[in-house]
Amino acid sequence: MKTPIITIDQELCTGCGRCREICPVGAISGMPDTPHEVDSTRCILCGQCVQICSGYDSANETFATSRVERLKQRGMLPTVKEPLFAAHYRGDINAVVAALQQPDTFTIVQCAPAVRVAIGEEFGMPYGTLTPGKLSAALHALGFNRVYDTNFAADLTIMEEGAELINRIKNKGRLPMFTSCCPGWVKYVEDQHDDLLDHLSSCKSPQQMAGTLFKTYGAKLDGIDPAHVFSVAVMPCTCKKFECERPEMNSSGYQDVDLVITTRELAQLIKHCGIDFTSLPDEAFDNPLGCYTGAGNIFGATGGVMEAALRSACEMLTGTPLPSLELEYVRGEEGIRRATICHEGVELKVTIVAGLQYVGSVLEQVRRGEADFHFLEVMCCPMGCVSGGGQPKILLPAQRLEAHAGRKAGLYSHDKSLTVRKSHENPQIKKLYENFLGEPLGHEAHHLLHTDHQQNRRAV
Amino acid sequence: MNMPYRLNRFVIADPGKCIGCRVCEIACAAVHEKEQTPLTVGNMQNPVQPRLYLVRSVQGSVPIQCRHCEDAPCAAACPVLAITQKEDVIFVDESLCVGCKTCMLACPFGALKLVPVFENGLPVEQNLPLHPESQHQGGSTAGEKEEYKQLHVASKCDRCSGLAEPACVANCPQQALKVIQPERHLTMRMHEAALSLAAVARKYAS
Repeated sequence: MKTPIITIDQELCTGCGRCREICPVGAISGMPDTPHEVDSTRCILCGQCVQICSGYDSANETFATSRVERLKQRGMLPTVKEPLFAAHYRGDINAVVAALQQPDTFTIVQCAPAVRVAIGEEFGMPYGTLTPGKLSAALHALGFNRVYDTNFAADLTIMEEGAELINRIKNKGRLPMFTSCCPGWVKYVEDQHDDLLDHLSSCKSPQQMAGTLFKTYGAKLDGIDPAHVFSVAVMPCTCKKFECERPEMNSSGYQDVDLVITTRELAQLIKHCGIDFTSLPDEAFDNPLGCYTGAGNIFGATGGVMEAALRSACEMLTGTPLPSLELEYVRGEEGIRRATICHEGVELKVTIVAGLQYVGSVLEQVRRGEADFHFLEVMCCPMGCVSGGGQPKILLPAQRLEAHAGRKAGLYSHDKSLTVRKSHENPQIKKLYENFLGEPLGHEAHHLLHTDHQQNRRAV
Repeated sequence: MNMPYRLNRFVIADPGKCIGCRVCEIACAAVHEKEQTPLTVGNMQNPVQPRLYLVRSVQGSVPIQCRHCEDAPCAAACPVLAITQKEDVIFVDESLCVGCKTCMLACPFGALKLVPVFENGLPVEQNLPLHPESQHQGGSTAGEKEEYKQLHVASKCDRCSGLAEPACVANCPQQALKVIQPERHLTMRMHEAALSLAAVARKYAS
């Protein structure tokens, strides 16, 4: 059995209890001043405990485990110099290093939207500095054969999820529909609210859609055997490590995504290889699976999936585009936000939850049949993926909000600067449907891009 | 704004509020990094070196740091005058420190510590070479022979004199730390005592 993804180092934990307080599912327990523990059956792997933990390997105390040993236990590179904290996640970087050194392995990497507005921070740049060009350049320099983008798959998710929503509305399917991008949220519904499973969109997350395509469409384009593809995802999220290992995530015929590393792990690898991130010249992501729109990019912030979906769904439903693409009414940072969109005689009601601890009352409303909205977006982390468990860990708690706001602003400014800002207008997405998938919700799309959460429940 | 204080201000923690999370240590170390203040953990390339120290015991936890004593014994004991009164802070000039540890002995609180010096994540060596018999393998670079001991200097709280508020106070999630302004603190205490006396008097007068 692999090591659990989120654990608390019993030697380093001082028992302050801040992780216990922040855990949205009450999975952490412990007495004051004594080491705390994670109940892995309840944990949804969001990594917020990793973000808040401040019990570190202080030089003032003596620990039985040496630093060298601790780095090894955690699957971290031996060159990592940063302090080590009690709450931590399983590192997977060594397998990436090994894969990059295999001459007959074709390595493909994807990056989530939130990575490009945070990784610069690990190299001394201000909070939220937008660095897609440097990120792509660094991944090329590390030796990945293809540097693709989760943003492309985010656009694809909108095509499928948008079509699914319209289908449910038109054919009186189960409503409200829940987003399924956040793996912690999906796990939470499966673990604790399985009576509501059929509300979840059947769409795989962008990470998993991308992984499936890399080993099918992507491998075909490059004329390579998918058996030789090693697919890595760089994520702001710790739960994505769990998602890629789900046994049913193999529609390509192989494990769709072989390995997930976090934003922090990638930064550590870049330092390990002596790459000077800040002075890298900008490089583009590789075509065709690295081509993305502004809509795909805002997936990294709370309300972003909703905004991207509305930009496309309203247009698909009515045939007329929305008058403005700045859907300010779904942005924001409150735990629960509601909005009604009236466009060309169509009325869509949506709800957005940021921070899993706020979802309880909304789910009760759904369970009682009192939910009057069509679409629910839930992200486990407080500001969405920009504040994910795998993102650079902010040193001064007093700067947390500033940091999250900076990252969010980075995502939206990138969206604004892109010429194509609606997922259905992504030229490579159009091509993908023409040449490979057929149509949204079609046979091939259904086989490759959707999953059955009911089945997952039994399989896990 | 720099009004002259007659007594040195200092930071103190309330053991009743402290939960032992070590945020104060992390914040302290971060703002005292020689290069720019790191924003994220990934930028902490030197070992964490705070200037206040969480002490954990069965009775609870509390950080200990310099009281900025009047006529400070550490300063009086320093043979090279590396410790001085700078406005209302007792300040260590680390560049003058010879590492004699007299200040450490003189401090009644254990708030002065001799700490190893790092630069860009690498240990800084002292000038005096190790005796050949004491040289051993395993220096900073693997396989290299360690010929010099790492430089150590005295280090203590400088009350973040360049910042609006000390980093430990600003970042404590429990608001367990505060800056004490002795005169103001005393006035406040006297007022509280006077008010409670007045209340007692009123009670018995009626």
